[in-house]
Amino acid sequence: MTERIERELWLPAPPDAVWEAVIGDGWLADRVSLELKPGGDARFDSDGRVRNGWIEDVAAPERLIFWWACDDEPASRVELKIDEHRAGSRLRVVETRPLEVLDLVGVPLPGVGGSTYGPALVAA
Amino acid sequence: MNVPGASDPAGAPGPPGDDDRAGAVFGALSDPTRRALLAAIAEHPAATATQLASELPISRQAVVKHLNALTDAGLLDRTRAGREVRYQFTPAPLSDAVGWMAEVGAEWDDRLAVLRRQLGSDVHAGPRGA
Repeated sequence: MTERIERELWLPAPPDAVWEAVIGDGWLADRVSLELKPGGDARFDSDGRVRNGWIEDVAAPERLIFWWACDDEPASRVELKIDEHRAGSRLRVVETRPLEVLDLVGVPLPGVGGSTYGPALVAA
Repeated sequence: MNVPGASDPAGAPGPPGDDDRAGAVFGALSDPTRRALLAAIAEHPAATATQLASELPISRQAVVKHLNALTDAGLLDRTRAGREVRYQFTPAPLSDAVGWMAEVGAEWDDRLAVLRRQLGSDVHAGPRGA
């Protein structure tokens, strides 16, 4: 049972501009630090709430897939896709938490150090 | 604890490592018969295997097997009353899921509203730092 959130938004800006806004400080978190390569580290700081994670896949300015989690929460996977659409861009967001059920039985989840562990889960 | 592997329609490669309990949870929810059983138990609290078998088109023996998998997965509580075993649904996993969907969905709605304000007004300024 996968929990899944999907959103889609049209923006009157080219994909490059959307990409800059999406990965920059102030959107995903107040301070965003992304090592933009598969397996790279990701850190999201907002008001003392820190999420750590890692990059699953990146292709600027079209696609960013990452995992994130607060220390005490199960990790979730976020997929951001940007494409040109009607003189602007379409941003599609999918966040899933495929491992929520596993967390119930205390299985360690990908968060910090998840990069060694995550890819197998993505396939699941 | 066995996960009835034959009834894993998703063909999921399974969770990592060797945690059989995790496998049990994962497998439990991936099987339509077990989801039907969970629904039946949610409607008839303290059901017995015999009662459940009368409601579903499977044998009592098959019901017991599925109930064991669900119990192992932590989705059911089992209480013994005399000679009967009664099953209760423990819905924590599912209510947690609903809470997550609401919370995370609201977070994305907020973020998208921010982005709309930001890019809707200052689109012609071009990407920052480009």
